[in-house]
Amino acid sequence: MLDIKQLTEKQVFLLDGAMGTELFRAGLPPGHCPEAWNEERPEAVVGIHLSYFEAGSRAILTNSFGGNALKLAGYGLESRTYELNLKAAQLARSVCPEDGYVGGSIGPTGKFLRPVGDLTEDRMLKAFRPQIEGLADGGVDFLLIETQYDLKEALLALRAAREACTLPVFVTMTFNLTRRGYYTMMGVSPEAFIRAMEENAVEAFGANCTLGPAEMAGLIKILRTLSNRPLVAQANAGQPRVGPDNLTYYELGPEEYARHVPGLIEAGARVIGGCCGTSPEHIKKISEKIVGFFDRIK
Amino acid sequence: MKPELNKHLQDLSQAIIQGLVDEAGPLAEKALTEELPPLQVIEQACVPAIEEVGRLWEAGDYFLPELIAGAEAMKAAMAVLQEALKSSGQSLKSAGRVVIGTVEGDIHDIGKNLVASMLRASGFEVIDLGADVKVEKFVEVAASEEADIIALSALLTTTMLNQKKVVELLVSRGLKDKFTVMVGGAPVTEKFAREIGADGYGESAVQAVSVARKLMARRGGNHD
Repeated sequence: MLDIKQLTEKQVFLLDGAMGTELFRAGLPPGHCPEAWNEERPEAVVGIHLSYFEAGSRAILTNSFGGNALKLAGYGLESRTYELNLKAAQLARSVCPEDGYVGGSIGPTGKFLRPVGDLTEDRMLKAFRPQIEGLADGGVDFLLIETQYDLKEALLALRAAREACTLPVFVTMTFNLTRRGYYTMMGVSPEAFIRAMEENAVEAFGANCTLGPAEMAGLIKILRTLSNRPLVAQANAGQPRVGPDNLTYYELGPEEYARHVPGLIEAGARVIGGCCGTSPEHIKKISEKIVGFFDRIK
Repeated sequence: MKPELNKHLQDLSQAIIQGLVDEAGPLAEKALTEELPPLQVIEQACVPAIEEVGRLWEAGDYFLPELIAGAEAMKAAMAVLQEALKSSGQSLKSAGRVVIGTVEGDIHDIGKNLVASMLRASGFEVIDLGADVKVEKFVEVAASEEADIIALSALLTTTMLNQKKVVELLVSRGLKDKFTVMVGGAPVTEKFAREIGADGYGESAVQAVSVARKLMARRGGNHD
């Protein structure tokens, strides 16, 4: 069983970068279900996984971010939840080197629980359950419940995970930097987040998406004062821009992004990866920064 | 104004600010049974209350749940008050007609729904086309519904370019001057909005309302 505490002892556990933008780069048409490609274009998905391992990722995340039953229902694929996640895990596993790991990606449902929305807790729990079973049966080493903004939803996904398997679970929430500090869209503070994570003995937790690496380091510093567990940081490559060719890109290139990585580690991040706009090239540059980082500061 | 009447308006206002969805409707009725004219209730209690909700959101005191609750409470109160207006032969002047949707290829609808509820709560008539809406559909519905504004949402960097396609289609059909286009969504910026030829951009659902109002004023007054 993956022991994240040990794997982050005086070292960084390097995750992968973005999956979505890589899928689009590989030709996924906008509006097409990304998880459907696990069956339709497995070679494309595997190619992305492989490129991240080759770039230096210690662990990669399955192509299952939108693989809960509620999100798949948007494509009429909810009855295939288990199979699409099983396949996602098997694809990642198939190219995982001996010393590598596979994490099962679990994103938000995109729906709100009552009273903000009309979803019951039971329906949300049932949306995550077949996803987690598929990922676990497909052989992932851990689960990453990511990009969460509602603490209740994150905890329901966690409950579904604890009920379905014994895999270690990581949780990341997405924070904005507001005038009053870091909060998620639903108003979850770093303190409330960490309290819930500690209470539920989540193996590793932290933040992803929206923030660039510099703002992310500020947030991780706060989280570090609240917890001693391994902290996860997956920042965006800055903000999206539109180029003269009419294609969108993110402002921070691999080199610029990697320059922030020592700051992230010093702030307390031990599980590091990329989010929107990061590519295998970003991971390669990050990987060069973290090699020997702890030897240098000793 | 008698002090006890004032209190009804205050209670209603507080119910909207605090997002008490179940209480806002009955409190609006109570104000009416005290023979307050519906227009006065709307202007003195409801409108300032929803503006206060927006202010609290912008100040970082309120988050998405409070904003939605405020908009829902407003909706409940307005349903009662508009009914009362109608039975007295009056009607509320629409702030404008908006066709809204998330662009083609994008199924994300949280932001779009939020903008739609804030616009509705602020007196706009909103035709919500949902998510993954075809470029042509925006233009067709805007024409058939005689909309003032087309509001386009996108969450993905890949789909935000479809906002541009809507503007381009309007231009090619000679309809660019007929409809006002506003855009928003996580990756969308003011600069992008300008570059694609959109008329307005809102960073948040609250901003979207003030942008829509400004755009309506530029169109030369309210829709009638």
